[in-house]
Amino acid sequence: MFTKLAGIRFISLMNALFLSSALSGHLKADTSVAAHSASIDVTAGESLQRVIDDAEKNSILELVVGVYPGNILINKPLTLRCREGAELNGMGKGDIVTITGADVSIEGCRIINWGDDLTAMNAGVVIKKTASNAKIENNYFKGPTFGVFLDAAVDSKVYGNRIEGITSIRSQDRGNGIHLYASTGADIAFNEVWHTRDGIYIDTSNENTIRNNEFHHLRYGVHYMYSHHNSVLKNYTHDTRCGYALMQSKYLTVEGNRSERDQNYGILMNFITDSSIQNNHLSAVKQGTDPMGGQAIAGAEGKGLFLYNSLFNTVNNNTIKNSDIGIHLTAGSEENSIAGNSFINNKQQVKYVANRTQEWSNSGKGNFWSDYLGWDRNADGIGDVIYEPNDSVDKLLWHYPSAKLLMNSPAIEMLRWIQKEFPVLKSPGVMDSFPLMQMKNYEGANGVFDSRITATQKQPISVAGEVK
Amino acid sequence: MDDKKQNDDTELSLSRRGFLGASVATSVVGVAGATGVAGITGLSSAVMSREAFAKAAEDAVASAQVHPGELDEYYGFWSGGHSGEVRIVGVPSMRELMRIPVFNVESATGWGITDESKRIRGDSDKFLCGDAHHPHMSMVDGRYDGKYVFINDKLNTRVARIRCDIMKCDKILDVPNVQAIHGLRVQKVPHTKYIFCNAEFRIPQPNDGRDLNDPTKYFTMFNVIDAEKMEMAFQIIVDGNLDNTDADYTGRFAASTCYNSEEGVTLGETMRNERDWLVVFDIHASEQAVKAGEYQTIGDSKVPVLDGRKKQSSAFTRYIPVPKSPHGINTSPEGKYFIANGKLSPTVTIIAINKLADLFAGKIKERDCVVGEPELGLGPLHTAFDGRGNAYTTLFIDSQICKWDVEAAIRAYGGEKVNYIKQKLDVHYQPGHNHTTMGETRDADGKYLVSLCKFSKDRFLPTGPLRPENDQLIDISGDEMKLVHDGPTFAEPHDCMIVHRSKLKPSKLWTRDDPFFAETVAQAKRDGITLEKDNKVIRKGKKVSVYMTSVAPNFGTTEFTVKQGDEVTVIITNLDRIEDVTHGFAMTNHGVSMEIGPQATASVTFTAENAGVFWYYCHWFCHALHMEMRGRMLVEKA
Repeated sequence: MFTKLAGIRFISLMNALFLSSALSGHLKADTSVAAHSASIDVTAGESLQRVIDDAEKNSILELVVGVYPGNILINKPLTLRCREGAELNGMGKGDIVTITGADVSIEGCRIINWGDDLTAMNAGVVIKKTASNAKIENNYFKGPTFGVFLDAAVDSKVYGNRIEGITSIRSQDRGNGIHLYASTGADIAFNEVWHTRDGIYIDTSNENTIRNNEFHHLRYGVHYMYSHHNSVLKNYTHDTRCGYALMQSKYLTVEGNRSERDQNYGILMNFITDSSIQNNHLSAVKQGTDPMGGQAIAGAEGKGLFLYNSLFNTVNNNTIKNSDIGIHLTAGSEENSIAGNSFINNKQQVKYVANRTQEWSNSGKGNFWSDYLGWDRNADGIGDVIYEPNDSVDKLLWHYPSAKLLMNSPAIEMLRWIQKEFPVLKSPGVMDSFPLMQMKNYEGANGVFDSRITATQKQPISVAGEVK
Repeated sequence: MDDKKQNDDTELSLSRRGFLGASVATSVVGVAGATGVAGITGLSSAVMSREAFAKAAEDAVASAQVHPGELDEYYGFWSGGHSGEVRIVGVPSMRELMRIPVFNVESATGWGITDESKRIRGDSDKFLCGDAHHPHMSMVDGRYDGKYVFINDKLNTRVARIRCDIMKCDKILDVPNVQAIHGLRVQKVPHTKYIFCNAEFRIPQPNDGRDLNDPTKYFTMFNVIDAEKMEMAFQIIVDGNLDNTDADYTGRFAASTCYNSEEGVTLGETMRNERDWLVVFDIHASEQAVKAGEYQTIGDSKVPVLDGRKKQSSAFTRYIPVPKSPHGINTSPEGKYFIANGKLSPTVTIIAINKLADLFAGKIKERDCVVGEPELGLGPLHTAFDGRGNAYTTLFIDSQICKWDVEAAIRAYGGEKVNYIKQKLDVHYQPGHNHTTMGETRDADGKYLVSLCKFSKDRFLPTGPLRPENDQLIDISGDEMKLVHDGPTFAEPHDCMIVHRSKLKPSKLWTRDDPFFAETVAQAKRDGITLEKDNKVIRKGKKVSVYMTSVAPNFGTTEFTVKQGDEVTVIITNLDRIEDVTHGFAMTNHGVSMEIGPQATASVTFTAENAGVFWYYCHWFCHALHMEMRGRMLVEKA
């Protein structure tokens, strides 16, 4: 059944994951109560809830092939392990698995057809406040609303799941693949989410790690609201309406992520402070289109990085290429360290709307600009001429976008020429006094931009929390 | 001036509108001036001539400018947020024309100092501050009637009324049983019989010290106020909380957003739900329930309280789930839709008002009233309309205005592959409310949009750590939105309302029978005084009333004598009949200051604490001999 569902790539992934979970189970058995747990085979004819209720704590319930209908509640330490072909089916109603007990694991199950009541926040698996240390691993989800909902959960692990939404439902009427509300200590890794609404939504949830996931064909890949001290590492978003929407949050580590062909924003940072945005690779961020009609929206140019009212961040060593706008800074986004980045073939490298000059270099090293026309006579790798990505003319265009019609007109050419000849007209903006002559090697051997699949192949997930 | 003629002129100049603004024009002109013409003529032959470029820029400037001596086309009523006042702004010039103190105390006019204003401020006169958010004008059949503007005070739970003939606050109502009046709107049809106000914060009831830390016992209420009497009509208990509100164009329904369906008391607790709701009130059914006596009262209050909570399955409330922590609620001007703005969801929810009757009748479910839910961008807060089928929604996180087509969005919801988003425009920065000219009435004319931006950041010369807000004016008369003006404002306009000047007929002078100072007139009558001619001192024990007239540049009384410790009331009648000759009365070293408008009577009461000579003077400039307009208060030792 899995073979039919997911193809060979998925099988290899599942093998890797089963292997790793077996390994972690073994480690656990050496050190904890799990050593005494019984393994019980469950068949589809039985009432799963009854079996759960009757089971000793720390039992391992092995579900054999078949459909297990209805909604279940797990309120004690327990492992639910599906063998190939075992399916938890909500029969279109409510949440399929609600976890209220500590140390519950759900492994290898096909979890489908839960309720479609978005107002009630129906989900495949709900992890409640009392359910610390839940582990949701190697499952396949498909349903109308939320996949995995962490409802004020603590220290949850969500590994290697594939979560699929239903495209016949309107985007806004679907749930998010993985949803964190007021949750902390979660480790979310090696999951693939597609066709749900957002890939992962992190809402008032601090100190979580989201790493090595793949989010695609979604509204937003990673959707953040007011959540601090989180790590977003080595994720891969593509074909979404915004790769990473990071909002109103502090102390984020956003490193080694990739965004390809996302619309509107690769990474949006709105009121993000004291955060590290490094080694991300953002390419082909496209102009926003009408969510239904698909027509490009005027004023919604694709922005690799959008920094809005965001200060005291480190934005280093990112690659931003082939997008409408490389980086857009506005609303007083100052005092950020912006160095070592490569801006490659963006239609407009920088859009900076402000009235104060900003230096974008760090200790004598700036950024790589593919449109840099300067030279490096002493061959020290630093351009000899200051790079200024925008000038008065650019500024004029932000204020009066309609003036774009004039872009090739002699009047604009004249303004540019005069600005050069008479620097008094020059407006404050961004300057890079130490432009780099070489771009960073962003596809290096270290696999900085590993996608989920390649990362998984290289790196078994037996040790939670570790990121290479 | 003839209003109609002025309109025609305005339209002419609108049609000539260009696309470049003031700074461009300056640059181009400056450049041409500085460099001579040789190079320019060489470059200017292709797409657009230098002359055409300069002309386009000039036209854009002209469109946004109201030249000295010219009048604005619109009155804008701006709330002053926690400054507590309301301001009148000319649109499109964005010139501040007047401030109307309401919940604040104001030095120049003596608002909160004079006896007349203290009477109006009533029981809550002790509060020196307020938080005014949503100004809304009274209507007849969905059109502004130019009579009143109503404004809420979130800080001290009040609602005030401004009389638009005198542009002064004439009533303030302390709303009982609730806390923090936020959203406020008027009944639009058939006329403004009621004002609808949301109390935002949930509290124990009665709030007398019981159930202090048991939030499960808290609730809040929707408040219905009689607009003419400025008295409570009734209150409705709701689940959740109440944020913004609006009314329909039938007179039957009002609707309020709720962002705290969780009924949480901390930020985190209020964020959990995927969908909160819009609670719809059936005003007719509510009136019937009150009439039928199906109400309770709370504590000492006599106000009828209806219970509209879900578990009551009341005949007058319905809760329509909408995503997620919705904020603004706006009725489209043709009367078809309520639009709830998602805030934490990038969507707005379109609710068909003509389905609400069936919802109340139990024929359809709550979400069946939703006919569209377009995804617009990050942080939709408020929506305005142009009367041509377009809506303009502020996107707080994107810091943009999204222009979209309402009917297209409804078709898209039905599955049709149709484009509903027309344009996005950057605004600076973090837009909250927005408002179009006449946009909250049937007369929406689609000329201008104002975006009230919460931060100005670097848009103006820095003024220290505290910065002005930035009210941006956007021309929406054409196919594309164009930003035409940045307007710095002091704390902190939440909302505004833009009324065509033809709707208002403000008085030039006060009339002697104005109720604003009728109580003072009655007091004079009791004292046997004819205010229009007498200059007399009346003593009653330690209370001294000093009646005087004023005619520029003289007070009718140039000296009066009181005893140390006397309570002194100075009552002045301004006999000038000339427009704009307002007098002032300022008593030195007594904290006494007030305005006396032409033909008005104003009074102020204070204690003469110290013996000695105290000069009083006129501080509203009135005459060439204004400096000489003064007199002495002689305070004899006790």
